[in-house]
Amino acid sequence: MIAIQTGDVDIGALITAAKKPGTGAIVVFDGVVRDDGITEMELEAYEEVAVKELEKIAKEATRQFRLLHVDIIHRVGNLGVGENILIIVVSAGHRPEAYAGSRYIIEEIKKGVPIWKKELTRDGGRWVPGEHGHGGGKPT
Amino acid sequence: MTVKIRFFARFRELLGTDILTDVTAGTTLRSLITTISQRNPEGHAAIFDENGTFHEFVILMKNGKRIELGDAADTSVADGDEIAVFPPVAGG
Repeated sequence: MIAIQTGDVDIGALITAAKKPGTGAIVVFDGVVRDDGITEMELEAYEEVAVKELEKIAKEATRQFRLLHVDIIHRVGNLGVGENILIIVVSAGHRPEAYAGSRYIIEEIKKGVPIWKKELTRDGGRWVPGEHGHGGGKPT
Repeated sequence: MTVKIRFFARFRELLGTDILTDVTAGTTLRSLITTISQRNPEGHAAIFDENGTFHEFVILMKNGKRIELGDAADTSVADGDEIAVFPPVAGG
């Protein structure tokens, strides 16, 4: 399942569904809202593009690391401290591929999927700075 | 010709989003974004520097496809196009 949604997911059910024939390892990544003195986290996505990008990342991870199953669920909306933001579930025949595949997916999401986070505090809020490795090329 | 402009994150807060605007033939991506962003000086300053050059971190898309900043002055917009303008991504 690849999705951008407001609601949470049942991680246990995802793990059960990820046990495809040949599975020897399942890695779950669960990114949660950290208690950095914030009241809430606000998440926003360019949904149509973000879903396509997630699908592309899942496909590439499956190819590179011979994954048997991939789920990526990224939540949007307002989330409280401790709530799940991003759940990645991958299964593979062996643990090296499962760990490497999971790591590849999260790093690729951070690099290029159009999703933004704002930390809300009692005094206002602040957009979490993103990475921008592009630039150069033609003058603008 | 009508095009839709979508700003995200901080740009959205400053300039709004899902802005439908009429454009004339030959309008470029760069001129369109310049015109729309001038509605709010703070929004314009978030996207362009004092010389009217895109800040290098700005990301542009036309119909879901990335357009390099250096190509924005040579990229024309057409009826029904969806233009997206956003700061660096920070998901995960």
